Amino acid sequence: MEKQELTARLKEIVDPEFVLTSEMDLKLYSYDASMDRATPDVVVLPSCTEEVSKIMALCYKEKVPVLGRGSGTNLTGGTIPTKGGVVIHFARMNKILEVDLPNLTVTVEPGIFTLDLQNRMVALGYAYQPDPASQKVSTIGGNVSENSGGPKCLKYGTTTNHVKGLEMVLDDGTVVEMGGKAQDAPGFDLTGLMVGSEGTLGMVTKVILRLMRKPEAVKTMLAVFNSIQDGANTVSAIIAEGIIPASLEMMDNTMMRAVEATLKVGYPLDAACVLIIELDGMPEGMDEKAEQIVSICKANKVREIKVAKNQEEYDLLWAGRKGAFGSVGQIRPSYMCCDGTVPRTKLPEVLARVMEISEEYNLPIGNVFHAGDGNLHPLILFDDRDKEEVARVLKASSAILKACADVGGTISGEHGVGLEKLKETSFIFCESDLEFERNIKRAMDPSNIINEGKMIPEPACEA
Amino acid sequence: MAEFTEIIKALAECVGRDHLKTEEDVLSRYRVDGLLPKAVAFPSNTDQVSGLMKIAHNEGWAVAPWGAGTKISTGNPPQRLDLVICTRRMNHMRDVDVANLTLTVEAGVRFRDIQARLATQEDRCYLPLEDLMTESDEVVCSERSHSGCFFPLDPPFSENATIGGVMAANSSGPKRLYYNLPRDLVLGAKVVAADGSVVGTGGKTVKNVSGYDISKFMLGTCGSLGILCEMTLRLLPLPEAMATVVFSFSDFESASGFVDAVLNTTMLPAAVEVMNEAAFHALEGEDLPGMSRGSFVVAAALEHFKPAVERMKEKFREIAKIHGATGERVIGEDHHALFWLKVGDIMPVGAERDAEYVTIKLNYPIAAWKDLAEAAMEGFTKQGFNPRLLVHSGSGICLISTDIGSDGGKVSGIVKDLLASCRREGGNLVVQYAPTALKKDLPIWGESGSDFIVMKRLKERLDPKGTMCPGRYVGGL
Repeated sequence: MEKQELTARLKEIVDPEFVLTSEMDLKLYSYDASMDRATPDVVVLPSCTEEVSKIMALCYKEKVPVLGRGSGTNLTGGTIPTKGGVVIHFARMNKILEVDLPNLTVTVEPGIFTLDLQNRMVALGYAYQPDPASQKVSTIGGNVSENSGGPKCLKYGTTTNHVKGLEMVLDDGTVVEMGGKAQDAPGFDLTGLMVGSEGTLGMVTKVILRLMRKPEAVKTMLAVFNSIQDGANTVSAIIAEGIIPASLEMMDNTMMRAVEATLKVGYPLDAACVLIIELDGMPEGMDEKAEQIVSICKANKVREIKVAKNQEEYDLLWAGRKGAFGSVGQIRPSYMCCDGTVPRTKLPEVLARVMEISEEYNLPIGNVFHAGDGNLHPLILFDDRDKEEVARVLKASSAILKACADVGGTISGEHGVGLEKLKETSFIFCESDLEFERNIKRAMDPSNIINEGKMIPEPACEA
Repeated sequence: MAEFTEIIKALAECVGRDHLKTEEDVLSRYRVDGLLPKAVAFPSNTDQVSGLMKIAHNEGWAVAPWGAGTKISTGNPPQRLDLVICTRRMNHMRDVDVANLTLTVEAGVRFRDIQARLATQEDRCYLPLEDLMTESDEVVCSERSHSGCFFPLDPPFSENATIGGVMAANSSGPKRLYYNLPRDLVLGAKVVAADGSVVGTGGKTVKNVSGYDISKFMLGTCGSLGILCEMTLRLLPLPEAMATVVFSFSDFESASGFVDAVLNTTMLPAAVEVMNEAAFHALEGEDLPGMSRGSFVVAAALEHFKPAVERMKEKFREIAKIHGATGERVIGEDHHALFWLKVGDIMPVGAERDAEYVTIKLNYPIAAWKDLAEAAMEGFTKQGFNPRLLVHSGSGICLISTDIGSDGGKVSGIVKDLLASCRREGGNLVVQYAPTALKKDLPIWGESGSDFIVMKRLKERLDPKGTMCPGRYVGGL
């Protein structure tokens, strides 16, 4: 279909003010937080499910590529329109539609910023638990598509464990409801399939999320170590002792320096790494658990442990962790985050391998990650204007993911496969695994127009 | 299409002649809704399952997976049944990684063996003491440390059910209130698809977003998309202390007042179960003081740090007094596990019993529980039945079961009314067990929603020949 006609038809569906075609507008939608770039043909910002349904029906009829976008904080290219076509930006669909405290649910439109939602729930005394570091900017719709994680995943699980139901627009514009406020609906766990499907199976227009009571008590500690091994060993030891903290995060020296230079939260610049450990729940027994953690840290040669004494100290402690990715900008302009995840006990081994890779490819690598669930985030720091450096970065990244896969881990703990890791899927999937995925995709989008080319590599050529 | 004898020969070659049965006396033990299969196979690993499925798929045979058969009666009568694939011999623990809190097992491992295996790792156990004594004499339960671990799921029939069946049926129990659901506890799976291909998904890590969440998607599909062969499960450290408090109330109103008050606090019980008098009697324990025909019992499981358990015990007893509890009982850690094991077996779902009966599971938004529990009880008592009622408070699930004697004809109307009530509240129901003859008049899978078209698309693409349990699942899929 001609771009002009497509634009005209879209203007019949959505307020023309929200159908974007200027060169500058399109450029703004040509990138996300990954390294890829591609320009769409037209961007449209619908205001409701009905409009999304009509847009999808149009794209289906005319076989126009289409994909959805929240805030574009996606790290793996999931929101890059590599085939051009239509980008549906959900910025205008950002409301809380209903808070149902007796049923412990909140129903939202996909464009709502995650942190906004969380703050509003906390004000009511409730919590929406998943807390991806991008939460200030990322949207629920994006979190749902990527099955986002965050520090609290160790105890509370990822986004998928907190999505009770979805309203979704299918490839041909049909609107369906999956799941709901009630658990155990008879039938397939379609909600479970859609969460983490990286926007390849349909367009989510409403999300029913699970609320929990705010924990009665919270205790947060910062443990400082002189060696990464000691920190990693402490992580394993805490879990082995039977303590599941709400969060267990690690930051290495490179990352701490970057954070201190911008945010000044008080990290020690000569330490090898710090652990941020948070306990939450009923206050009875919490002090004893905290004591136990202190003992474990001491047994692993901790230099110092600080406990956050008030809200201010608590906020500062977390500001550093959550601002980590952003602050590396002053070491190098670009970063590549490898999202490999490994069984906890393999952490020391894999961290050592990451340091080797850093030397091998001559690239600074900073590590800030969810140590408690083995989800690494080595940030390879580079300048993307230097083509030679970029080539080394891609090789180093692949090597890190291979190291994770080799110890029984996976190539993506949180950020998805997208475009970035299509090749690396072969580290953990074989052809029959991928073919099953392709069949799911074919069932939902036989025309292959929804976020085409993402997540599932093309079939291997017959030799 | 090959001759029957050739097909049998091929199947036998796949698993070994001894493990492919065609004798009538064996086949009759593997009936599904009275339908006799042509053969029953007992593969010993995933590759053999794959081999069997490839043959069945090519020959257009209909396959039913079978673990221990505890939940096989749930579903429409099968349209066709040729081959039962029983996972009984696939009973190995593949990877016990306690330090990483993961466990990888084959689908045929019995659920109780998982807990038993984990219990022997440390000096505390999650199972009733009596059972463990038969497993190993060296295991000693003590209160010293709690670095042992367990698999935090409490499905019914855990003595016999296989983990594959538990997951295929998305089976859970009262403690889902605290420990969550099967979908939150499975990290990865190996599945044999309808065409025999082996599909691996997920892994050993708690976080994994590589590819579609197929392991989650396969749970609860009751064999309609493939056969679960292996699973990686997420474990938790054992709770420091465990106890149960039980209260009796003279009527539903006071019992439900107590429950709502408890769930409204910010405390964290592992389970809060409401039982009517008939259900409580099925536990075959001593009556609480003050119990009578219309009584209700609420049992709360407490599994947490020692001081937290103590606090909950105290607070719940206070709240119970306020709501007029007629009796109370505290069950210590020694008998706590056995109590909850028995709760899991209150609702029958199997054809071993002589009596004709129905068991129905209702699911609904949490806040609708009182209305629906009352509607369920009234629906049956009005027609002269004496049902057992079990409510997983706070989870939006209740189970109701009753002998129906020769009054089967009344059941259809009752269930249809109950379904309408559930739908009005945004819920649904499943008839977990009913005599085969009654099934055609019953909404076995409740009522389908707008997403049925998606289920249909997926089934048609993933099992185009209708190899897996044709006709048994939601909407006759």
